[in-house]
Amino acid sequence: MKLQNLTLTTTMSSNSDLQSHLHRSYASNQQQQSKAVIVPTPCSHLTEFKAGRGATAFGKLLEGIRVRPLGRASVRGEAFQVFQCGACGKVPTRLYACVSCDAVVCDVHAPDHEHEIAIDVDRAELFCCSCGDQVYDRDFDSAVVMSQTAAATLGGCNSLCAPPPESLRKRRRVDYRPWTPDSRERALLGSHSSLLPGNNEDLSSFPVGLKGLNNLGNTCFMNSVLQALLHTPPLRNYFLGDRHNRFVCQQKNGVSYNKNERKNKNLQKLCLACDTDALFSAVFSGDRKPYSPAKFLYSWWQHAGNLASYEQQDAHEFFISMLDGIHEKVDKDERKPHSQGSGDCCIAHRVFSGILRSDVMCTACGFTSTTYDPCIDISLDLVPTHEGPTKTLHSCNGNAETINSGVSTLLGCLDRFTRPERLGSDQKFFCQQCQVRQESLKQMSIRKLPLVSCFHIKRFEHSPIRKMSRKVDRYMQFPFSLDMSPYLSSSILRSRFGNRIFGFDGDGNDLDCSNESTSEFELFAVVTHSGKLDAGHYSTYLRLSNQWYKCDDAWVTQVNENIVRAAQGYMMFYVQKMLYYKASGSS
Amino acid sequence: MNDSRRASIKRPPTPDAEEEDEDREPTLEEIINIKLIESGEKERLKELLRERLNECGWKDEMKSLCRSFTRKKGRNNVTVDDLVHLITPKGRAAVPDPVKAELLQRIRSFLHSTAL
Repeated sequence: MKLQNLTLTTTMSSNSDLQSHLHRSYASNQQQQSKAVIVPTPCSHLTEFKAGRGATAFGKLLEGIRVRPLGRASVRGEAFQVFQCGACGKVPTRLYACVSCDAVVCDVHAPDHEHEIAIDVDRAELFCCSCGDQVYDRDFDSAVVMSQTAAATLGGCNSLCAPPPESLRKRRRVDYRPWTPDSRERALLGSHSSLLPGNNEDLSSFPVGLKGLNNLGNTCFMNSVLQALLHTPPLRNYFLGDRHNRFVCQQKNGVSYNKNERKNKNLQKLCLACDTDALFSAVFSGDRKPYSPAKFLYSWWQHAGNLASYEQQDAHEFFISMLDGIHEKVDKDERKPHSQGSGDCCIAHRVFSGILRSDVMCTACGFTSTTYDPCIDISLDLVPTHEGPTKTLHSCNGNAETINSGVSTLLGCLDRFTRPERLGSDQKFFCQQCQVRQESLKQMSIRKLPLVSCFHIKRFEHSPIRKMSRKVDRYMQFPFSLDMSPYLSSSILRSRFGNRIFGFDGDGNDLDCSNESTSEFELFAVVTHSGKLDAGHYSTYLRLSNQWYKCDDAWVTQVNENIVRAAQGYMMFYVQKMLYYKASGSS
Repeated sequence: MNDSRRASIKRPPTPDAEEEDEDREPTLEEIINIKLIESGEKERLKELLRERLNECGWKDEMKSLCRSFTRKKGRNNVTVDDLVHLITPKGRAAVPDPVKAELLQRIRSFLHSTAL
């Protein structure tokens, strides 16, 4: 019997130690993809150079490292020293100071110089004149990064840097192992479960869990999000794995299902998680008739009073509200920390909660102030990517390598999201080092990725000034596979230090181990909006077993993936490709 | 610290050419450049330019060009020199006019405020 076809009606003894809500749901990517940091091997010239000298090889020049505001390291004798190429006297954009002698050469004359190893004076990066390429050395990079870090903090210790909300030191990982029942469990399964009614022949090719949701009066905003959540792998596994059994929960809260007592609905303790559990049971029951989530709607109304009406609502608002509802009704007796960032408080946060890092840098002295905030999704401004420059490039040489002009992409929006942004002069930030308000740069990055990333595209603009709202219909291209590593704090920080040999963890400490392979995501659901701001319709595209389906309220149809690619995405749901168990016990 | 013992004697230094070049008059462009550097204005201009080019997506564009070039040639077959020669002409051509105008204006004001 396939596990999927069983409805579990018993309470499985939950192993609270092994916090495994995780299950490999994709047949592909079975093998581990370890993405090690590529450590460049030194060229023979660098090796030879360091052979006799060890760590003090660059000594003299390292003393000349100056860190300018915003962290750029350079080599200077005095503050604004002008370097000239010893051979031609020019002051070009790339100048190299030889480590072995006092010569300074430009890139044209570098190959002619008698020594090989030099330092790019403007970037404090090593260069091999013989190879004509940048080379890397751990001792050198450590020293430079230390200077840069010191310049960004108060006397070397970043006192304003709030530590991340949880201990994000790497925990021991336990690799995924597929679960098969042992003999005792098999017996339990056999005696306590019942087979689902056989699938209708016509629909037997459709995967389990595909079921239409009836529109109860402008409730497509809810149906669309529910469809996405019903097929969010960790969430689905949690509820189908009976981790929140509504009967047990209601028994605990003294709720009676006796029809006579149902009149006292006010006394019923509201639990959105129970209603979600009921929804999962209904949708995965194997019955193909469309389901009316009336009870769920009613419960949600009770939670989100201000949104309770038959008017059209915003799907994203519903999404946030529903997760909030699940979080709120978590059994507060359980001694679980409520810090959302760790995701230990409830299944909603366990699945969707990530941590954002925000850095504010003083433009005058480079001092950086860092804060961490949990987030349940990422809302992105929809902006056209590459307006001006691309058009020029296109007309200039028609090169096929250039990106299409003006097409917005999810990656472009994420680039914009993590770009350093200069705060306006009316938003001057008080700098601890300068002790005055200074103009500053703000940069966002992702400190910790959630299991499931939800991207919300801000298509609805509300202008309180003009008392106008409008919808942005611009098409945005989104990938089916997404690598989030360029947007991680570790990558963003890394780019601030120039090209260095090692990576950084999300807190700015240098890292000497392989990249976590948990930054690769796969798209599994897209909520789309069509129509106008006040008269529109939501529907959801779902990916199940490598096949795409469109869920339009009660109508579920199989569609080609190109339809999905062309859709107007409003919310995109991506799940991590590789999931792990957290090792039980304290790390 | 002249460690000539370890120097590879592949190519001798070019003494004669140096002397010739140091005698020639610096061009106006070079004088301005040096003034900009010494006053620290060049640093500020560079930061401003970086910001503007980042904002308009120019930097992403260049990164993307470098990436596709590196992918084609293979990561281990690309040097800094290759990339610089690849994107310098394209990059120069792709700077948006408003950005050029802003930078030129800044340089102009600097020149007015400095005695040459």
